[in-house]
Amino acid sequence: MKWVYLTIAIVLIIVLVAIFFITYYLNKKTPIPKGCEDKLINKENCSSCKNYECDLNGIKNKEEKEDK
Amino acid sequence: MEYLVAFLLGIINAMLVQNTILSKFLGICPFLGVSKKPESSVGMGFAVLFVITLSTVICWPIYQYVLVPAGIPFMDTIVFILVIASLVQICGLFIKKFSPSLYKSLGIYLPLITTNCAVLGTVQLNNSLTFLNSVGNALGTSFGFMLVIFVFSCIRVRLDNSNVPKAFKGLPIALITAAIMALAFVGLVFNFVN
Repeated sequence: MKWVYLTIAIVLIIVLVAIFFITYYLNKKTPIPKGCEDKLINKENCSSCKNYECDLNGIKNKEEKEDK
Repeated sequence: MEYLVAFLLGIINAMLVQNTILSKFLGICPFLGVSKKPESSVGMGFAVLFVITLSTVICWPIYQYVLVPAGIPFMDTIVFILVIASLVQICGLFIKKFSPSLYKSLGIYLPLITTNCAVLGTVQLNNSLTFLNSVGNALGTSFGFMLVIFVFSCIRVRLDNSNVPKAFKGLPIALITAAIMALAFVGLVFNFVN
């Protein structure tokens, strides 16, 4: 009986990992609402941020390239 | 009626006596980083409320009915992190699609919640409680988080406009303020015990 629960637990972990990657991909693909990009990003606070999950990270890097 | 009273007392206990920031010292990062403006602190508080409550509702049954019977309760950290991260992604997705105005005020804080130790700590601490008590604890923790971060942001706004010595401006005076607030909440603990 313990093997049944163990199998369920392993399948659940695999499903959770899959759900995370799918939702991450969908979130990255969804564009930021128009008019929000320039209001949300704050160059002072975002300058040292290495959080690649943040949607604004791509915009910050694009702006840095344009500045250069 | 007794259960309702116990539920409400549990919420008040989690909110004030066992406050997640000032008593357990979890979630210090957003407490110091997102508390410069009252509006942003309220936004962060609501986002944390949503994620903590929903994470507790999902993670408690997983822990009690899957991990413990399987003999792998030590996998709770990984499973809970996956649930929390997925919830944050789903939350961000729905807000982006259906409520751009909400995204404008709340969206920037969502990635901060994934790595917020207050969320994972609360969900893990709720494992030993009953389902109803864990939901109450999650609600109380979230309200306590929101209360403290909002009060702290109001104090910081006043501190910015006051005559603070140059060496203490910014983070030093903020940390001193946080320490005094923590002392005040220690007083609540002793009163509750007595």
